[in-house]
Amino acid sequence: MNTQTSSRWNAAGKLALRYSELMATDPAAIGPEFHDELRRYYSDEEIVELGSFIGFNLGFHTFFGTLKFYPMFAPDGRLVNQQESARIYGDAPASLVSAGRT
Amino acid sequence: MAGIEPVSPAEIRDPDLQALIERCERLGVPGSLFPRVLARVPEYAKALLRAMLLSHTEGNVDHKLKEIIRVQLARRAVDPYFAGLRSAKAMADGLDEAAIAAGCDDYERSPLFSEAEKWALRYADQMYLNPASVDAAFYAGMKQHYSEAQIMELGAFIALHYGMQVFMRTLGNGAPA
Repeated sequence: MNTQTSSRWNAAGKLALRYSELMATDPAAIGPEFHDELRRYYSDEEIVELGSFIGFNLGFHTFFGTLKFYPMFAPDGRLVNQQESARIYGDAPASLVSAGRT
Repeated sequence: MAGIEPVSPAEIRDPDLQALIERCERLGVPGSLFPRVLARVPEYAKALLRAMLLSHTEGNVDHKLKEIIRVQLARRAVDPYFAGLRSAKAMADGLDEAAIAAGCDDYERSPLFSEAEKWALRYADQMYLNPASVDAAFYAGMKQHYSEAQIMELGAFIALHYGMQVFMRTLGNGAPA
């Protein structure tokens, strides 16, 4: 889904999503003009809240991605260890496939 | 600053946040400016600053090695603020600029680092440069030198500090404070 053309998001929501996308893919593009645009919809406090949240997730999602976690629970709700989970879900569990980390 | 102005010290009245910022300033990392930008959201600031201090100064991986990794990551993030900061504790313990420069450059061939230290430097280096290379074989190699607890300590330290460095970079203030 292209969040920038989607009708699901208002302009403020699209800008927050753009902020997140740029921080991960092109942080150099987040300059004074981008901050001026953010300020049309968000207070400085909200921008710090968003920016630190995005930075935190940017760092940890990449780290967690390297760990190749399998689901902790079997489809019937049992708590299973990683080896059993790998047997249940196979080499490419849905959670990893959907994140593009097969 | 292009992005967000820091909160002035006089405006920060939460004693827990004041104490945390003083610790950040005494250590030298994350310094004064970044904590005062975060202070616009005090509860976030307290949680993130506690985690940054804890992950950097406590645990079972050498603080000097973490400091080299932190600077390496800041350079990777192209963030001059964090790249310019130095841990007073690490420097007092004997870390010098030559080791930091070596850790940020061709550390694989440097005689300054042990095999274990090179694995840690490689872990940070590859995490955001080429995360696909940090796979099961990579972790098996790391386990030759580090416990799983130490690997999680390093991974969480790397993730948190890199994430905050990228955020700081986007604020556009490169002057260490």
